[in-house]
Amino acid sequence: MNDFLSLLPLLIICSGGIVLMLLSVLETMNTETASYVSLGFFGIAFFVQFLIVCFPESELFATTFHSMLMANSFSRVAGLVILGAGFFTAMNCHTYFQQNKVCTVEFYSLLLFAGCGMILLTLARELITAFISLEIMSLAIYILVGYDRERVTSTEALLKYLILGAFAGAFFTMGTALVYGAAGSTGFVEISNYISANSASTPLLVGGAFFILVAFLFKVAAFPFHAWVIDVYDGAATPVTGFMATALKAAVFTVFVNFLTINGALQKEWITFLFYIALFTMFGGNLIAIGQSNIKRMLAASGIVHSGYLLIGLIAISTGSFTGSVIVYYLAAYAAGTLGIFAALSYLGGKNESRISFDDFKGLAKVRPYSAAAISIFLLSMAGIPPTAGFMGKFYIITSAIAEGQIALAVFGVISSILSMWYYLRLIICMYFNDAEDSFEIEKSPFAPACTFILAICVFAIGLYPIVI
Amino acid sequence: MIFLPILAGLALLLFPVGKSGSRLTGFIVSVIIFMIGIEIFLDFKGSGTMEYSVNRPWIDSLGINYSLGIDGISLLVLLACSLLFPLIFAIYSGRTKGYYANLLIAQGAMLGAICATDIVLFYIFWEIMLLPIFFMIGLWGGEKRLAATLKITIYTIAGSLLMLAALVYVGVSYHSQFGAWSFNIADLRNLDLSGGFAVTAFIMFMLAFAIKIPLFPFHTWLPDAYTEAPTSTTFVLSAIMAKIGVYAVIRFVIPVFEIEFARFALLLSLAGVVGMMYCGLAAITQKDFKRLLAFSSASHMGIIALGVFCMNLQALTGSLFQIVAHATSTGILFVFAGLIEERMQTRNIADLGGIAYRAPIFATFFAIAMLASVGLPGTSGFIGEFLIILGAVKFNTFIGFLAGTALIIGVCYMLWMFQRIFFEKSNSKTERFKDLSFLETVTFLPVILLILFMGIYPQPFLQKIEPAARIHIAAFTTITTTETVAETVVPIQEHDTHHKN
Repeated sequence: MNDFLSLLPLLIICSGGIVLMLLSVLETMNTETASYVSLGFFGIAFFVQFLIVCFPESELFATTFHSMLMANSFSRVAGLVILGAGFFTAMNCHTYFQQNKVCTVEFYSLLLFAGCGMILLTLARELITAFISLEIMSLAIYILVGYDRERVTSTEALLKYLILGAFAGAFFTMGTALVYGAAGSTGFVEISNYISANSASTPLLVGGAFFILVAFLFKVAAFPFHAWVIDVYDGAATPVTGFMATALKAAVFTVFVNFLTINGALQKEWITFLFYIALFTMFGGNLIAIGQSNIKRMLAASGIVHSGYLLIGLIAISTGSFTGSVIVYYLAAYAAGTLGIFAALSYLGGKNESRISFDDFKGLAKVRPYSAAAISIFLLSMAGIPPTAGFMGKFYIITSAIAEGQIALAVFGVISSILSMWYYLRLIICMYFNDAEDSFEIEKSPFAPACTFILAICVFAIGLYPIVI
Repeated sequence: MIFLPILAGLALLLFPVGKSGSRLTGFIVSVIIFMIGIEIFLDFKGSGTMEYSVNRPWIDSLGINYSLGIDGISLLVLLACSLLFPLIFAIYSGRTKGYYANLLIAQGAMLGAICATDIVLFYIFWEIMLLPIFFMIGLWGGEKRLAATLKITIYTIAGSLLMLAALVYVGVSYHSQFGAWSFNIADLRNLDLSGGFAVTAFIMFMLAFAIKIPLFPFHTWLPDAYTEAPTSTTFVLSAIMAKIGVYAVIRFVIPVFEIEFARFALLLSLAGVVGMMYCGLAAITQKDFKRLLAFSSASHMGIIALGVFCMNLQALTGSLFQIVAHATSTGILFVFAGLIEERMQTRNIADLGGIAYRAPIFATFFAIAMLASVGLPGTSGFIGEFLIILGAVKFNTFIGFLAGTALIIGVCYMLWMFQRIFFEKSNSKTERFKDLSFLETVTFLPVILLILFMGIYPQPFLQKIEPAARIHIAAFTTITTTETVAETVVPIQEHDTHHKN
């Protein structure tokens, strides 16, 4: 029964996706109704997941489906982040597609399937399962990215993402094969037993783990596998970009953590490697972001930087006082801020995303003070200014890094966030310190603005009451 | 007390209120805060420990508490902060409601930073403090406001983020030494830090505060920011915010990093003296009186900082006293400067002259504030500066000598400026200069009286500061003499009255 309960959110959105797919043949079904249906499914699943997180006394299941899935407190909160991101994305899409009429009913169905793959990914305790869920998620996302076939950038984004993503998938299977060759199993428990019996540095295992890490690093856009992210984020429809930036990152980081922590020896083996990856990810991302004039591209680059911070958290994970909760908290804080900005962009962007550069947002505060204030809150959260969620997230990451003796990494993280101040402040300066040239007319739709409002409150709520995690 | 202004500020932002309505709200809120501030001051026992402490758990897993408290160190800063805000609302009209809202939020955050005894809580208020300043300079500043805003923001944020890393390091070391998490300053006091990174952490802390104070050579943001900011923002920056930097050094750096502090004290006090000299000399050459005042303020912050770095009772008490003295005198000088700018439409000293003939009351007030700023006996500035120089000579004769010389530079530029603005020949512009109206006179009078009162009868202030200062100094030296600072001052006081007669 408990197993069933833990899987319930997954089942709900999975069936939601199938129902929508079937309903799409009906004549009377239009995109608006579809968005309500998907909102409903995401909402119910979120609620159920929320109850599961709130009442942890219901036993965690260690082994289901021959220990292929496992729910721990970490994956539960990650699931909550993913479902929340899905819910808000559906809201944004509703508004976005009133201005850009390229949507069909299947869009929402794919959104649900993508969410389904992500949830499955957080539960995966076995490499093949992880691969399958990774692909369920990726295939849905590929289509979502290229949904606007009329736009060149969208198609370009799809191709880039698809081809490179296929490479990453191939790396993952290659890694799985090598690990299987070493450990004789693809289950995390068996791999852990193998490492304890032998060591984490047998050639086969090192090769396998390396390929798997490459696939993960590609998905979270860490250096040097970050090049795709700018064009893809730019080309995809704004709400989809928001979904990718938050839910996808949350899912991949969860399985990343689960994989890396199956055995302490495995994590130790890779710390130095990840140290340099994190370092270059943060500074590379910053350098890219500083040069951008397009907000979506800037956010893509800042997403790289945030991946770098999350990698710090990953390195600092230990069996001691800091566990995955630091990472999952950061994911939630980052998701609230990023989704909020993409929600605001969804309704402020205008037809065909005509308002997207820094200059287009000049003087927004004069015309739409509330929207500008909300965007500023999200930006400040991403920059890590108290009392927002982003600050608490960064605080935890730095604390965990220093507590684990990674002082250098913590200092680099701080320096990197000083650098990132520049491009976050730049947008705030554009919005506040210039006169308006645009009248910022938008389609009337309550959804994305409501979403912006809720998330702005969330940013403070998560920041002021960090006890929830 | 902290959240009243913040909430009022946020409420102002959210609801449509007219200009005068928002100004009135601000005024009423700040007067309430002022009343509370006065009551705390009068009620304060001066026991040397934390009074009015509040302690609520906030983030249990890391031992971060919402804990506040006031002792002799924070008392006068708190007083300055609550005292000066009603003045701003009373004098400045014509800004939009966003401006008043920002002012209120700034005040709330500053009060929070002053009262916080948990270092993480302090950091949070410290950062919030910057945001309203960012908007106030950026939105309502002068011509080159954008550059000034970016300069001050990036400077201070760079400093404070480094402080964050150091702060976490301190917390983590506490955890590893005592096995429990705590960021409370009372617990961190027991911390025994050593090793290479302790020095780095100390430097990171000092850097953040040195930028805020600003200590030479981190003062370069100051002239731009002070000049470009609207006068009331300059007032907030110079009168209160800079003081919080000094206060934070006393509150958080000295107890945690005694050894490192003692090691670097000579260097830091040299930085203080050099800053005094350098900014003083820079002030002489300025043609713009607001910029001149900005440099003068930086120069005086140098002496306040010097008082902290001398590590003895006299100097520290003098610094704390000087915090209020300087807040009132420099603050009001900036207000007067803004007044001249508003009436004359110029900040150029050369365009002015002969104002004293037109506006005798204004000139008198200006003169008193200016003399207090240069430390003439009988004004508040004298007590503080005398104590600091006394402490400095005790600490290192050479530095004391330099500091004394630097003060003379201060007298030079101030008197020269006064001469050029208020005496000499009046021109067609200054002919029409109006004296202070009755309302303005009434608003400024209490501050002017306070300057004189603090200069003539400083004991009530000194007595409240001293016990806490004693505790902080105890870390460095055991004070053998039983003489108190208040007693040291008495003979001078008598001498002073003779002098007047």
